[in-house]
Amino acid sequence: MKRTAPRTTLRRLMKQEKPHLRMAANTDLLVHLNVLLFLRRLAEETRAKAFEDKSKIIKPQHAVAAAKVIKLKSRGSCRGRCASKR
Amino acid sequence: HREKQQQHALPSSLVKKVFAHYVRMAVSKDAFRVVEKSVHLYFKHLFNDLEAYASHAGRKTVEPTDLELLMRRQALVTDKMPLCVLIEHHLPLEYRKLLIPVAQSGNKVVPHK
Repeated sequence: MKRTAPRTTLRRLMKQEKPHLRMAANTDLLVHLNVLLFLRRLAEETRAKAFEDKSKIIKPQHAVAAAKVIKLKSRGSCRGRCASKR
Repeated sequence: HREKQQQHALPSSLVKKVFAHYVRMAVSKDAFRVVEKSVHLYFKHLFNDLEAYASHAGRKTVEPTDLELLMRRQALVTDKMPLCVLIEHHLPLEYRKLLIPVAQSGNKVVPHK
């Protein structure tokens, strides 16, 4: 796997979404780390769903089901947490 | 339409590579499209959260501590899994050097702020 982080892209994305926010030095690397961990979680969940289905390849429905679970887990705001408690 | 997607997300080749690396299985084309879509959504939430954390601390700059808080809330960073360890596991050496210039694990000398 290519290991370099798309640092400028991450900064640009941030600028596009939140033009008034700045990013401290090397914070984009932590954002990249978070992206990696998000994708890992999503991948593991997708894999599990495919295994449940006894499917040899990942199909869209597995990814959709996994995304639902992981979306709640990767919320940094309260909404996700409260929804999962309910 | 493609350009719109490009504006708001990482290059799809990168997402594809990383996801394929972690999933260790054949992935259909449509499934990749779903993954890309969820990455897109993820970024939207991410930047909203970071903005909230920074403004809560009265800052206009997103700092590393905001990211640590985020990962704590995502239960990626816990007491048993500190951020340093995640960095060591997932980022290459040249980035680790930037983020952890001095070893921090088990170091009790760092003063509390």
